[in-house]
Amino acid sequence: MLLTEKESKSITDKILSLVKADDATVSVSSDKLSHLRFAHNTFLTSGQRESRGANITVWIEGKRGTSSTNDLDDASLKAMVDEAERIARLAPVDREYLPTLGKQTYKPVNAYVDATANISVTARAKAVGDIITECEKNKVIGAGFHQARAQAGGFATKNGNFGFDSSTNVSLSMTARTLDGSSSGYFLRSHFDVGRLDTKSIAREAVRKAIEGRNAKTIEPGVYTVILEPQAVADLLSGLAFGFDARSAEEGRSAYSAAGGKTRLGEKIFDERVSIYSDPWNPDLPGSQSAQGGIPAQRIYLVKNGVLENLIYSRFWAKRAGKEPTPGPVNSIMETTAPISAPEDMIKSTKRGILISRFWYIRSTDPRTQSLTGLTRDGVWYIENGKIQYPLKNLRFNQSIIQMLAPGNVEMVGTSERVGGSEGGNASLLPTLKLKAFNFTSQSEAV
Amino acid sequence: MTFSRRDFIKTAGLTLGALTTLPSWVYDAQAATGALIDVNKNNLADIALSTAKKLGATYADIRINRYRLESVSTRERQVQNVSSGQNFGFGVRVLIKGTWGFAASPIVTAQEVERVTREAAAIARANSVYQRRKIELAPAPKVVASWKSSFQKDPFDVPVDDKIQFLLKLNEAALAVKGVSFVNSSMAWVNEQKFLATSDGSRIEQYLIRGNPTFTVTATDRATGDFQTRSSLVEAQSAGYEYIETTDWLAEAKRAGEEAVMKLKAKTVEPGKYDLVLHPSHLFLTIHESVGHPTELDRALLWEANYAGTSFLTPDKTGKLQFGSKIVNFVADRTQPAGLATVAYDDEGVEAQKWHIVKDGVFVDWQTTRDLAPLIGKNKSYGCLHADSWGSVPFPRMPNVSLEPAKGNVSTDDLIAGVDKGIMIFGRGSYSIDQQRYNFQFGGQTFWEIKNGKIEGMLRDVAYQSRTTDFWGACDALGGQSTYLIPGTFNDGKGEPSQSNAVSHGCPSARFRQINVLNTAAKTQG
Repeated sequence: MLLTEKESKSITDKILSLVKADDATVSVSSDKLSHLRFAHNTFLTSGQRESRGANITVWIEGKRGTSSTNDLDDASLKAMVDEAERIARLAPVDREYLPTLGKQTYKPVNAYVDATANISVTARAKAVGDIITECEKNKVIGAGFHQARAQAGGFATKNGNFGFDSSTNVSLSMTARTLDGSSSGYFLRSHFDVGRLDTKSIAREAVRKAIEGRNAKTIEPGVYTVILEPQAVADLLSGLAFGFDARSAEEGRSAYSAAGGKTRLGEKIFDERVSIYSDPWNPDLPGSQSAQGGIPAQRIYLVKNGVLENLIYSRFWAKRAGKEPTPGPVNSIMETTAPISAPEDMIKSTKRGILISRFWYIRSTDPRTQSLTGLTRDGVWYIENGKIQYPLKNLRFNQSIIQMLAPGNVEMVGTSERVGGSEGGNASLLPTLKLKAFNFTSQSEAV
Repeated sequence: MTFSRRDFIKTAGLTLGALTTLPSWVYDAQAATGALIDVNKNNLADIALSTAKKLGATYADIRINRYRLESVSTRERQVQNVSSGQNFGFGVRVLIKGTWGFAASPIVTAQEVERVTREAAAIARANSVYQRRKIELAPAPKVVASWKSSFQKDPFDVPVDDKIQFLLKLNEAALAVKGVSFVNSSMAWVNEQKFLATSDGSRIEQYLIRGNPTFTVTATDRATGDFQTRSSLVEAQSAGYEYIETTDWLAEAKRAGEEAVMKLKAKTVEPGKYDLVLHPSHLFLTIHESVGHPTELDRALLWEANYAGTSFLTPDKTGKLQFGSKIVNFVADRTQPAGLATVAYDDEGVEAQKWHIVKDGVFVDWQTTRDLAPLIGKNKSYGCLHADSWGSVPFPRMPNVSLEPAKGNVSTDDLIAGVDKGIMIFGRGSYSIDQQRYNFQFGGQTFWEIKNGKIEGMLRDVAYQSRTTDFWGACDALGGQSTYLIPGTFNDGKGEPSQSNAVSHGCPSARFRQINVLNTAAKTQG
């Protein structure tokens, strides 16, 4: 069962009462995960897992130790505290120690829906059964994953702080492949409210992409104008907001470091059409009410109209730099203050380009320029003279994110949608993007 | 009603007839975790399996597992964190009307085992209404056994202070190199204590230790804003703390520091075709991605179509497809010493095995589990089922997949001597491959230009792109046993929900002709 706020407080109080160390921060968590996986138009695995855990970090004369357990009985909690204190006595002094926070005030976030936490396995089975029927009717082979997750837990410090977070998330991702294996389509959406997850439309979109992607042609690799659907943007950029670390930038080992030991703070690093921010109270993408170190989260801009507005200062690095710690990010939202463009208008305005549904197996090749490699997957189309002409086979790219979002390379921005990265990670609010130049380096025959 | 561990041992002996005594490590494990292990797993298994049978399961299993974890991380002259944790729980899997159901809980009591078994059965029944193709299992013989992985010194017995001092010394060795700015180092240890009971009558206890020591050195040029890193070339292994004590980490840290600084000034690579000589510290990951994953039968049968992807290999290509040159032989091996995927039994009680996947360059066999084997007409699993936790559904995971060395005494220098224009690559860098495992791109840690049979100097910004069968077809020479290493990776992700698997890939140094190399720092837009 998920922990209530009262139960969480009772457990963190109990743990803190066992602490003999000078300072401590504790957390307790509970998690409920329910999932169903299908493939080849049949059910594969399905299950439910409940889990919970407690974690403590203590400091004794500035020396730090951490321990965790997933057993919340009194003996196990005491063993966990003893273990952390034993480690702390052995450890050297933690030179980055700062006293834990005293009481903070958090503005609540609405991120939990009971119907998502207690999802009906029979209703889910029927919804997936209906999807498989739709695949059979359309002569495609369906595979997908439906999962609902609920999390609740509290955190507290020896200096008097306490906070409680609860959240839910439900998602369906679906891949449809044609019977001859020549085409594949994919679609993924998520929400914290199961009532807002439209499983039928997700399946319909995956099937449509598979059917329309048949008879794909090859295209020579090279530099092309691209239109990236929100899923493709998420696959590339869902972690971008969390990468503006001040310490690595000031240490000279980040894409936001500048020559002469400086940083790029205040520079126009991206096109003015691009703003990136975090907002814990966004109604479609609620984030945690607490940011790093337990400080209350606030709405903050990382990039505003292309200008690097904030680097993220941890409590320690902020104190060292004489700055305030950054109250975020707790989620990732990309928006534009320029006029919003519809995907159809992006296509109409393209003389020669490529429409991309999704990217896959994205890995860093050079952190200095945030260069990535990866491949297109599950839906690529060639555009010429303002119209989609035909589907394309997949391509590998090698592309710097800094150059991709640079002034002049972002031509049009669409409405932001809630979308998750298809290799994992949290959901973000991201738009369709039309980019002037994007670098493909080889072809892939993979479907 | 719960029993003490020693009561369990007595009961187990009476019930099973085979476990009259257990090895001393079982008692050691109890001592290590104190009173926390005070459950009668055998009794709980009886409850789960009899409940599942009553509810109509044609097969069921229960895994009751404890995971101990310890990690120490440092940077430069300070400790960033020392953490220790344990995680205990059970998962029940049932097969009802040809449909799987699974449920798991951290509350390890008789009452909870019965409740969770009912929950697993309810999930299976709900889904079975819409099931299209019933799951069938290849048979597996009943096994009653216990096993411990090979290690000499249990890392959980080594004082934390020793580990801290080791890492700080390692950092000093790197920082002593002029031009080194930062060093991050860490070691993580995992102990899995796994109990499996199946409705076929198997009862298996396994105790595994794995270690993952690693570090990264960074050299920065503050004037230009440039920076380069060099990570450890020594990878994770199934080993005890002797892995720390018998490896010359200080020399490796010093060398890493020197090479990180050297990278700042190294010549950037000219794109084009090169012969490659790949060191095992690099080649293991290329094997993992281009050989390990496409020979997973679940991928070929589209079970991973929605996430990790499918495979360019299909069952009709078994025994026919020329995967690589005739010198290329890959074995799947869950018995390989030091291998991270080495076990005695998999997570459904099938004994660990060794078999050829590619023989004399031809693709000949698959990685299978009990529910996969019947789908290609086999009545025996190769034992590849694995779950990363008591709370995860076990599913097909990769065994150690290793490249056999040349039979003769071929050194890495011999391979280099046969290259006019080439690059030698060490270490794991960036790696990316498509969802059917055709097209891949790999980087590394260090790159060395080969000219006229000799190493000339360091290169940087190197990655190579190829197509799996073209690449292995271009393999024209292998190093001998003296070049053979068994590097591994701790965290191979696959499945939904995504799970992590630890796996190794033994290999010698190897040479590949005329592979396409690109420059990863090249300007990407005109």
